[in-house]
Amino acid sequence: MQVLANAAAAAAILLSALVSQAGAADLPDLKGRTIIAVTENAYVPLNFADPKTGNGVGWEYDAVNEIGKRLNAKIEWKLTSWDAMIQAVRDGQFDVGMDGITINDERKQQVDFSDPYMVSEQYMLVRGDENRFTDGPTFAAFKDGLVGAQAGTTNFYVAVYSVLDGDEKNSRIKLFETFGASVQALKAGDVDTVLMDKTSADGYIGAQPGAFKIVGGPLGHEDFGFILKKGSDLTVPINAAIASMKADGTLDALNKKWLYDYKSQN
Amino acid sequence: MTSPETRRRELPWWLIAAILLAIAFGLVIGSDVSYRIIFGAVASGIWVTVFVTVIAYVFACAIGLGIASAGLSKHRVLRETATFYVEIIRGVPVLVLLFYMAFVAAPVMVAAWNIITEPLQAVGILGPASIRNFDLLWRAVVALVISYSAFLSEIFRAGLQSVDRGQIEAAKALGLSRFKVFRLVILPQAFRTVLPPLGNDFVAMIKDSSLVSVLGVQDVTQLGKVYSSGTFLFFETYSVVAYVYLLMTVSLSLAVRGLERRLQRHRDFIGDRR
Repeated sequence: MQVLANAAAAAAILLSALVSQAGAADLPDLKGRTIIAVTENAYVPLNFADPKTGNGVGWEYDAVNEIGKRLNAKIEWKLTSWDAMIQAVRDGQFDVGMDGITINDERKQQVDFSDPYMVSEQYMLVRGDENRFTDGPTFAAFKDGLVGAQAGTTNFYVAVYSVLDGDEKNSRIKLFETFGASVQALKAGDVDTVLMDKTSADGYIGAQPGAFKIVGGPLGHEDFGFILKKGSDLTVPINAAIASMKADGTLDALNKKWLYDYKSQN
Repeated sequence: MTSPETRRRELPWWLIAAILLAIAFGLVIGSDVSYRIIFGAVASGIWVTVFVTVIAYVFACAIGLGIASAGLSKHRVLRETATFYVEIIRGVPVLVLLFYMAFVAAPVMVAAWNIITEPLQAVGILGPASIRNFDLLWRAVVALVISYSAFLSEIFRAGLQSVDRGQIEAAKALGLSRFKVFRLVILPQAFRTVLPPLGNDFVAMIKDSSLVSVLGVQDVTQLGKVYSSGTFLFFETYSVVAYVYLLMTVSLSLAVRGLERRLQRHRDFIGDRR
């Protein structure tokens, strides 16, 4: 039985290697061209500065480096802020930008999005002693409940459309500049919940035991995409690389590495 | 050097250019649908920006004047305390003050309030205060007041020190009380000296008030950020935001210049009589 299992495993590895070989062979060859990639290093675990080395690491770094490998392109990394990043990508100063950017139709008028590379599920982070609501619907019914979010981010859209009533001007949403500020507001009692993905939530819970907890299950989800200049000739090759990485399990392996195995150090 | 007189007679080309630019940009905003939408999205923040700035500035002036007086006091403890305050606060970025005020000082203040008013709460006269009674907008205002009071106190100090010692001695010789010397002799003269830097700091504060957006205060900047993040129209949005701030700051500069000119005339008039 054991032998059979080993043989099956070996066959599976061989098969996946063959598939990825075949996939790679089908991919466009960019002939060593340099792709300038940009991010913000402010979104654990997608892109952030490694506390030990200070170097940028994370899911998106690994994914884009792998895309470069598959397309025979050199990736050159740059850092900038959110506002500047999107404008600079629109202008073509950088080839591809990423920061866990939610794909939406309004944004599609300004930039090209790659195919989705990740689905983000948002959870409700609350104070450790919260007992007035237990999930999205009970929070929505709890009229005094306030949610902290950053303008135009995934957690903002999920709060509006999946938890509250779909009104982006709902006064139960308090907007903050940074993720950190909204968590501080949660801690201080200004708001009652902050939506975030599981990994970030686990990071905060681990950093301050007892202060926070998660209630309810995953709320509405958002697709993340890379952004490119409108009409960029890189959109098609990058989508092909994403498809091949989906097919051969590379994206799943990255999810495992960064979303489950990586322990946030903050 | 341009004397005040020649400056008055000069045709203000800069102003004409600024007005023409404002009209041109106004026409663009009015005629272009997407700019009009952006303007509509940020315009409702104008009153918040004005409110935050005016309230914070008035309090910062009052506290700044108090600190400047303390800094010139005969009592060493007052002087040292005032200098300590100015040196420390002036050196801390407004952004950091905002965060500390909002999330460190405010919870402590609310807790302290609850401890002080506990007897009243026990008999039911007051309910317990929650952090939410202390609105984030007011926390932002307090942080701005603290920050600017340090800068303004230095302006007031310079103004108070600029008044000729002889005038103070003369006023004292006339038998005026200390308070009357301050109110009738020192303050009016100091005011004229400090008006240009005060106006300068008010303009600076209008712009710095944009930092309150980090606490979610719905000012012009915050509304611009919300709009641009959702639509990715950063350059377009920030152009409109800049336009709105310029409308506020340039018109304010003009008001301060007008006031300066009136005071100047007043001084010339006194000079003629002499």
